[in-house]
Amino acid sequence: MAEVFVNKNNHMSRGFRVLLLLSLLVPLFFLADLLVGSYYISVPDILKAIFRSENSDAQVTLIINQFRIPKALTAILAGAALSVAGLQMQTVFRNPLAGPYILGVSSGASLGVALLVLGTGGLLGGSIGSAVGSWGIVAAAWLGSGAILLVIVMISARIKDIMTILILGILISSAISAVVNILQYFSNESMLKSFVVWTMGSLGSVTNVQLWVLFPSVLIGIVVAFLSSKFLDAFLLGENYARSMGMNIRFARTMVFLSTCILAGSITAFCGPIGFIGIAVPHIARMVLQTARHLLLVPGSILIGALMMLVSDIISQLPGSEHTLPVNSVTALMGIPIVIWIIIRNQKMGAI
Amino acid sequence: MIQEEKIIALNNAAIGYKGKSNSTNVVKSGISVYALKGELVAVIGGNGVGKSTLLRTIAGFQPPFGGDVLIRGEHVDAYREKELALIMSFVSTEIIRVPNLSVFDLVSLGRYPYTNWFGKLLDEDRHIVEEAIKSVGLQGYENRMVNYISDGERQKAMIARTLAQDTNVIVLDEPTAFLDLSNKYEIVHILHELASEKGKTILFSTHDLTTAIAESDRMWLMLDNSVEQGAPEDLILNGNFEFLFHNDHLFFDPEKGDFRIRKQTRRKAVVSGSGIALDWTIKAVERNGYQVIDLADANSVEVLLIIDVAYPVWTVKHKELTTKFNSLLSLCRFIKDLGS
Repeated sequence: MAEVFVNKNNHMSRGFRVLLLLSLLVPLFFLADLLVGSYYISVPDILKAIFRSENSDAQVTLIINQFRIPKALTAILAGAALSVAGLQMQTVFRNPLAGPYILGVSSGASLGVALLVLGTGGLLGGSIGSAVGSWGIVAAAWLGSGAILLVIVMISARIKDIMTILILGILISSAISAVVNILQYFSNESMLKSFVVWTMGSLGSVTNVQLWVLFPSVLIGIVVAFLSSKFLDAFLLGENYARSMGMNIRFARTMVFLSTCILAGSITAFCGPIGFIGIAVPHIARMVLQTARHLLLVPGSILIGALMMLVSDIISQLPGSEHTLPVNSVTALMGIPIVIWIIIRNQKMGAI
Repeated sequence: MIQEEKIIALNNAAIGYKGKSNSTNVVKSGISVYALKGELVAVIGGNGVGKSTLLRTIAGFQPPFGGDVLIRGEHVDAYREKELALIMSFVSTEIIRVPNLSVFDLVSLGRYPYTNWFGKLLDEDRHIVEEAIKSVGLQGYENRMVNYISDGERQKAMIARTLAQDTNVIVLDEPTAFLDLSNKYEIVHILHELASEKGKTILFSTHDLTTAIAESDRMWLMLDNSVEQGAPEDLILNGNFEFLFHNDHLFFDPEKGDFRIRKQTRRKAVVSGSGIALDWTIKAVERNGYQVIDLADANSVEVLLIIDVAYPVWTVKHKELTTKFNSLLSLCRFIKDLGS
């Protein structure tokens, strides 16, 4: 794989160096994320727990293996998945402000889950934590996000103005929230309870069992994104150019959208909607890698997304205090300045 | 005479677009034109006459609504995308803005039909890309970002991309639309050289008659009821240009090869002198609402002005008054409001 990145061209090898640096930073921040929490555990104790050494404290091992490692792994998966989903949407829609959260793909996923949980509440109410229930929820989220993605495709076939599409995306999200509220209003107590538990989802609520559903889903989504990198490069010039260079538009689009739905849907299914990572990270990746080639931007977004999510999680723990913040608020506060910067830059530069 | 292969051929073709609820709007029908190897073909026509639709149909983006659109003897919609991409490449009128895309990467996208699944460039591909960049005169720009070069340079990079795609046919939709005069000439000239030196068939639409007449080998003139083809000079001589626009105030001047505004005027002037100074003086006098007539005709009608050009001095006789001017600007200010 490495030979793909190494080229005689100068900035390609620069890109490769940046990727190498980023992939060293991720394990470092992973470890840092394990360190923070309401209960202090030292680095040697963490390492002992991870490698299940003989003289490790049973309680520490439990905290590390059952809580902190799943949470940190979920952070990595969520950051990587949302960022790659955002990158693909920005390229295919040729819209620098596209992202799974802002255009309503995440809320589509929550609508899917709401319909499943509230519709079959009696059946699935108690089984959300199980593997079977997890797959059901993920599938419902995929279908929900797929439906919204199709709506956006239809809108952007008619409307080219990116700001208009953005506003429509926000309206779609609001409409879906309203529908979900109405569904809650008409559902009975036990259904409501299991749905409310799901809506409070966060990085920390993902269990080891659910991780075994989340991990392969994200992996498949990322592999498909990697396989689509040549398509994505061609999409940069728009569909007419892509077709004139021999790309099968329908096949390429299906690949990219499948990957986007799997990535955004899976994360929303287990962690709830996490905003602004998907829109901000691809821009950071383009900036630090100084390239538009997706063979570099996909891994770049994976690594930067993972890093940003780990950092958000560390901040949300408020190290040194006993309180924690919702990770959503942290990603929003980190991502929104970047979105504002993109909008201001766009005013000056014109299109994407 | 040897029968030459028609690289692009339209036989009684109808073009149009799909409207709401799959209704079809035929823009133009009965089009029969063709293009040969090594020809630069200019597509000329007013706004809304269907130039873009025609080019999009030939490029295979939309199906013809009747008749034949043949690329190297095969129906264009019979090709698969991959096969067509080896024969024909395309440049649209849209300005491409992609952040962090280098000129080299943009041009190397042209290798798309030849590279592997991941788009890896081999040494041969790299060489072709560098050659393409060189032949549009962009050497040294390889690592520049396309968002930070001029419109003219970006359009050259888009043309280099079609060269990297290495196709016999190149279709360009208004490639000079956003460019200044010098870039317009340069781009059309590059296209002409590519057609004649590399034997490519290049089809481009334009509103710029002067460059198209100067550089194109063949013209497709899109009129209201027909599409006429010929060398630009043929179309001038047989008077087809007259029908390009329906505008009573506009007429085609076959001597100048361009359209001019017809001015209503009763004021007449006689201008004498020689050389380009005479030509430009006549232009200036006409612009100010005079009809310039020959001295021989001057006896039968009332002449308001008699101008003698002895550059850089103009002598103007108006009624009994003789005035001298040393620039056309001051002359124009003087004659503007006379007799009205």
